[in-house]
Amino acid sequence: MDPASSAIQEPFDLIRLSLSERVFVKLRGDRELTGVLHAYDGHMNLILSDVEETIMIVEQPDGAPEGQNTVNVAKRKMEMLFVRGDGVILVSPPSRT
Amino acid sequence: MATPSPPAAPAPADPSPPPAATLGSPTDFLKGVVGKRVVVRLTSGIDYHGVLSCLDGYMNIALEQTEEHVGGTLTNRYGDAFIRGNNVLYISAAEPL
Repeated sequence: MDPASSAIQEPFDLIRLSLSERVFVKLRGDRELTGVLHAYDGHMNLILSDVEETIMIVEQPDGAPEGQNTVNVAKRKMEMLFVRGDGVILVSPPSRT
Repeated sequence: MATPSPPAAPAPADPSPPPAATLGSPTDFLKGVVGKRVVVRLTSGIDYHGVLSCLDGYMNIALEQTEEHVGGTLTNRYGDAFIRGNNVLYISAAEPL
């Protein structure tokens, strides 16, 4: 049996194995987080520390054709963050080796 | 106290049975695609291509070797990815079952 896949029986195992690790979180509203995962629950509420949030702000200038949007990226840092689970789209742990 | 009479016409004979590959419930399909390459489309239109490691009753998904595609172009790669089930539109088998 492949040892890498045998560690995971359900999707939450992926999150459990990422505790105390730096994870990437994709959120609704074109936001992304990276931070150290301290806790989670069945809603995917998350506690992260040492967090950097990246906010993609897409602006379509008046009259500009589709595909000529300008994307501004804003970043900010937070020491400790509670993330409500319903905003979470994707969580990616550091690569298992 | 008359009991309703049975329908006059007999139930029409079943149409020709579907091919064997299409038999089974949605759950059977999901069991069959675990470990296979799949495409997961989210309601936002983002596609995730990868190997389905597992999923649960909420349709939370753990993917391996994940590629994120937006509008047909590759935008990100993740070794592993947890996708929160509420965002899932469909799971498509990307290789023969």
